Amino acid sequence: MPDKADNINSLKEKGWLKLDNAAKLFPAIISKDLTSVFRITASLKEPVKYTAIRDAVQITSRRFPYFNVSLGSGFFWHFLEFTDQQPRIQSDEKIPCSVFEVKRKNEPLYRVIVKGKRISAEFIHILTDGGGALEYLKSLLYTYLTLTGRNISSPGEIILPGTPISNEEFEDGYLKHFRKLPPPSKLVKAWHLPFKLNQRPRLKVLRAEVKTHEIIELTRKLKVSVTEYFVAVYHFALQKIFISSSSKKRKKINRVLRIEVPVNMRKKFPSRTMRNFSLFVLPEIDLRLGTYTFEEILHSVHHQLQISSDIKQISRFMSSNVSYEKLVFIRILPLFIKKIAMAAVYRGLASKRFSGLVTNLGMVTLPDQMNEMIDSFEIIPPPQNSKVKVGSGLISFKDKLRICFSNITQSNELERHILKHLSDSGIHVKILKND
Amino acid sequence: MTLCANCGVELDDGLNICPLCGRDPLDNSEKNNHPSVNTPEVMQLHKKETRKFLWELNGIIAFSGIAVCTIVDLITNKSLNWSLYSGISVLTAWIILTLVLFTSKWSLIMVSALMITILSALYLIDLLSGGQEWFFPVALPITVSAFLVTGIVMIIYKYARLKGLNVVASGLIVLSGLLIIIEMTLDNYLKGIVDLRWSLIAAVSIFAVTLLLFFYHYRMKKGNSLDSFFHV
Repeated sequence: MPDKADNINSLKEKGWLKLDNAAKLFPAIISKDLTSVFRITASLKEPVKYTAIRDAVQITSRRFPYFNVSLGSGFFWHFLEFTDQQPRIQSDEKIPCSVFEVKRKNEPLYRVIVKGKRISAEFIHILTDGGGALEYLKSLLYTYLTLTGRNISSPGEIILPGTPISNEEFEDGYLKHFRKLPPPSKLVKAWHLPFKLNQRPRLKVLRAEVKTHEIIELTRKLKVSVTEYFVAVYHFALQKIFISSSSKKRKKINRVLRIEVPVNMRKKFPSRTMRNFSLFVLPEIDLRLGTYTFEEILHSVHHQLQISSDIKQISRFMSSNVSYEKLVFIRILPLFIKKIAMAAVYRGLASKRFSGLVTNLGMVTLPDQMNEMIDSFEIIPPPQNSKVKVGSGLISFKDKLRICFSNITQSNELERHILKHLSDSGIHVKILKND
Repeated sequence: MTLCANCGVELDDGLNICPLCGRDPLDNSEKNNHPSVNTPEVMQLHKKETRKFLWELNGIIAFSGIAVCTIVDLITNKSLNWSLYSGISVLTAWIILTLVLFTSKWSLIMVSALMITILSALYLIDLLSGGQEWFFPVALPITVSAFLVTGIVMIIYKYARLKGLNVVASGLIVLSGLLIIIEMTLDNYLKGIVDLRWSLIAAVSIFAVTLLLFFYHYRMKKGNSLDSFFHV
């Protein structure tokens, strides 16, 4: 233990951290519209007590020092500087997932948002992914509930305040598990929703709730996972919109519907990192071959996800991403040139390769004493770029599966098709009010 | 137990203002428009009043001074002589103060107006002291250059992410440019040819100092070593 503590202290004394492989892109593309900020929320059964949440944030943030960082600019790369400032605690009055002023020195790149019975944490993707954010929120909830007098005798796998901080929590999982592999095959550009964008601020969030047991029963019958089922529904909805869109908008070359599905790499590799460690699989249906029934899509998506989330296949994406970072001639380029190049690559290629996003954090499990106090969880994915336009986030807790759509367009046709399909399949769907 | 009518959070006893929204927790009237006690509108009104008070006070002092000088000059010399110089200087100072007080939000307008004011004062003084001798060849280029230098430093200060020795170093670099312009102008006015000497020595010395300042700025930045800045 002393060794580990010494290592953490030496990391803190060093004063800075390198950005992980996934985080390196974000500073180049962040804007007021494309904030790269996501929100994860827990709704309690009682109104949040201000003093307790304030103290809980202070205590919890000390246990997650790798989040208490601000963004610095070096000559070759950005870096993360440790800061003594606490994250902001604010009321939920603004648009969710709003941009972080990364130039505001010393301010951590995450915030805690409180309203009514809800406690949310908003993270910029430079810091972590949904998996890391969920661990933070669980720890925050534990601390908050403890401070409000709840006795949580067996906290299970929750990261408790005051427990030793492992070096592994700081690590760049991509670099650690990198091995040189042949690159994945190139992708043709995907088709995109033809909807007009909202006026600024563009983001609108639609929240829906379904019964977890209903959707699990259905997916068991179909012998697929919830993610596979939802991705298939998403594809089916995209296909409907594609068919109904005018022929002008159905470009011949972009007739592939492809959905980005993040995969938590902590479940694939032995890693305890709290920083970004997820990759994507990209199930697709090719409309150049004709249209598909829902059953055909489900069948295809099921097998694609099974194959592409295989550790060997997904490692090819990791290998490809990390290889660029390791190239000497890229490393020695000054940061401003790297930023221009990364933004151009993102705008030209990366942003166009998928038509939608489905991120599923799965089922949240908590100790019984905490279960009693918490009603539901939600995740709002970051606002998507002006091509992809809509993204969806799923998370379930007890019998409530929440689906949040982050949409920057004037249309909610996609959401309507998806939720109607669920409803037609016998799943009770409740649309929630944005209060 | 108090529930904030706006945020819905429960506040501890003794919290009369919700720390999240800054509003009275019991007041749900005009939920989104009701300004809290610390909103910028309230602060602005206070600052405006202070500015107006300062301006009026300085106006009284300046114009009283001008009047006293004029009267004394008229009594002692039976004509307006030295009081014209003091009058122009005091009036210029008052206009400068007025501009600083009321146009500081629009820095470009403020700097431009200050430059015009100072140039006008210098022109009038040149005119009074014998008629257009040094204003165009000396005062005009030096004043305009000095303001340009100030503008550059202001822009650097505005856009610098971390304000510290880097701003000082940048200021010194533009200052060395100003010194070169001053020597060129004076040489041209006094000798008719430009022969740069002291300004070049000053510029080289300043350059060495600025290198040191930049180095210390990035080395001392938040106590970090240079490895964060230059990691490859």
